[in-house]
Amino acid sequence: MSVKYIPVQWNSNKWKYNAVMLSAVFAYLWIFIELTPDIMQNEGRINSQVHNARAFGSCAFFMLTVILCIGPLARLDERFLPLLYNRRHFGVIAAAIGVTHAFYIINWYFAFSKSNKYEALLFANTSYGQLAGFPFEIFGVFSLTCMLLLAVTSHDFWLKFLTPRIWKNVHYLIYAAYISVVAHVSFGILQDQQDNRLTIAIIISALAVAVLHVLAAFKERKTGDVAAKTLDNNLVRVCDVSEMIDGYAKVIKLENGERVAVYLQKDKLSAISNACAHQNGPLGEGKIIDCLVTCPWHGFQYNVKDGSSPAPFTEKVPTYNLHLDGDTVFVDPKANPPGTYVEPVAINP
Amino acid sequence: MTQKKKPFFVGYLGIPKALKGFLLKASLLIFAGFATGGVLAGVSQDDPGEAGFRFDFGRQTVSGVIQAEPYPILHVTKGNERIKTGRTIMLTGQGKSGVSGNKALSEETVVDATGIILKRGDLDMLQLAGGKRGIKITEAKDELPESQYLGKWRLQGEICDGKCLVGAMQPGRGLAHKACAILCLFGDIPPVFVSTQPIEGSEFMLVGGPDGGPLPESTYDYIGQFVEVEAELERRGDMLVMLVDPATLKAVK
Amino acid sequence: MNIAEIIFLLIKSWTLIGALVALVFLTVGIDRIDEDAQGAYAFRPLLIPACLLIWPLIIWRWFVLETGRDQWPKRHKPPRESHFWVAIAFAVAIPVIMLLGFSQKQEWPADFKPQKISSEQEQSQ
Repeated sequence: MSVKYIPVQWNSNKWKYNAVMLSAVFAYLWIFIELTPDIMQNEGRINSQVHNARAFGSCAFFMLTVILCIGPLARLDERFLPLLYNRRHFGVIAAAIGVTHAFYIINWYFAFSKSNKYEALLFANTSYGQLAGFPFEIFGVFSLTCMLLLAVTSHDFWLKFLTPRIWKNVHYLIYAAYISVVAHVSFGILQDQQDNRLTIAIIISALAVAVLHVLAAFKERKTGDVAAKTLDNNLVRVCDVSEMIDGYAKVIKLENGERVAVYLQKDKLSAISNACAHQNGPLGEGKIIDCLVTCPWHGFQYNVKDGSSPAPFTEKVPTYNLHLDGDTVFVDPKANPPGTYVEPVAINP
Repeated sequence: MTQKKKPFFVGYLGIPKALKGFLLKASLLIFAGFATGGVLAGVSQDDPGEAGFRFDFGRQTVSGVIQAEPYPILHVTKGNERIKTGRTIMLTGQGKSGVSGNKALSEETVVDATGIILKRGDLDMLQLAGGKRGIKITEAKDELPESQYLGKWRLQGEICDGKCLVGAMQPGRGLAHKACAILCLFGDIPPVFVSTQPIEGSEFMLVGGPDGGPLPESTYDYIGQFVEVEAELERRGDMLVMLVDPATLKAVK
Repeated sequence: MNIAEIIFLLIKSWTLIGALVALVFLTVGIDRIDEDAQGAYAFRPLLIPACLLIWPLIIWRWFVLETGRDQWPKRHKPPRESHFWVAIAFAVAIPVIMLLGFSQKQEWPADFKPQKISSEQEQSQ
């Protein structure tokens, strides 16, 4: 919620978040690179370039696994939402670790020939017509390209400029990236790997990602926002007043797919779009703090009466008109332009 | 739990008390998970076996006679402590470049070869020093040791690039290394077959094509895989050379 | 020129155009379409890599915003409807790909004994 853009916004929770994640990553790399060569009592020593490439490559895989687990975990249990808060930083770090892996590989396996090493990456192995011995490097290239695309568009400017909808669609690429990285690993290192411990760790990681996504998807389907029909009076029934809790919202899904968050604040009802202007986080799953609706994802705030962020912030969300018929709350499905003031409806006239 | 009692995290505010314990546990779990992962992934790497550059031997110079096909090899006629007289060794240039392109290395030429030894088991390769120091061509010609035909064989094993196999890269085999091996073969590095079981005491064989020349590129799809192949086997000096029939090459199930 | 060289030429050309777009967009365009960017310069270098990669999207969005074609309702309609099936497809693809990989995995045929199929005398040459 910057007024003027700055390179990176920091606060103490972000520092803590990055400290935890970075120390975990450093621990992984340090143990892998520095400690394990002496623990392994092998006849032959693995080249340091290959050893480092494996350390960074496997680290990036496990980081991507954690990143992909955070989303469904937060949907299954809201206590994980703080892990979502600064996930973008972790994603950018994962992309950097992946790039390091790629450079070790390119500067080792693809170097020392008369050809350009980047071109060699494409023409050395051209067994595209077979599964065994398939040039699995190309899966890695694709994953890394996706991760870089996500990393370079992670600044809030791109969210606002591209709109959250397009930005989210672009960032769906993380799924393609992970599938591709699973292929990269399955058709690469795991084809050669004789020691099953790594193989099992990778299988468990990838299956955890898959299972969590299925669980979260079904939970969303079962307990997600209610879809409501538009009635003859061109209104949509939300709920009874008695179901509302002060400071919290009821979310209703309209026929056109839009979601409305109807808030009760000090005996008065107001309705705004459920989609936060920042990243389309679910405003209706947030709560009112200091008279302002607060998004559960990144804490963007809005005045519930006009859908506007408090000055000096400039974010705005659409508002909706409400009607009270006896005890029943209805919403007019036609959204008002973002920032339009709507007089709250009192529940005790 | 009702909505009201649920702790609500706002990034720029303090962490709610009710969440502190949970987040501390989650942080420790993430840290412990990565640390364990580092140990596990690190120690579960396969042993590439003992092989590599023998820089500790220092630069070696030996004399011998060149056999140019399928890839130039040197039959040592005047050896030293490290490379005995009577040995047959493979030759390579720097990086992923072989010596096939050196037209001076024609059949039966006598040369003084200088370079660094690469070694895996009883397989030796000499990486020639750069420039003119690597190979000195003498006017002399010498006869090649008599080659002994060993018959046609059906073998299983892996076609590798000879240089990475003898330790230029560790590991230097397998499918993860396939692209690198093919790049080496494009650079005329001699391919070597690793047989499941030794023939006449040797599990490594220099590989050539059916016409006695280099291995045809059509076989490169099989590099790094475990394959079955039929080949004519010959002993040249103390090295086994196999001339593969590409039509019989197939992946082992 | 082989295919690898052509691909690299295309990548180089793509990023070169991206660099030109970055130059114009980050000096002129950005101030015109986002008031929060006016007077803010330190963050702009961070935007260069994205310009190199997604410049056609940037040109299109710039055009949309510049000409007032931006539709605000779309900003508040996240692509949530497709998420269920995306998640299911994603979860299915992961084990399928791993199984496909493992189905190809070879064991070193250590027990195979080399077989002689013709004797020394039968040399054809």
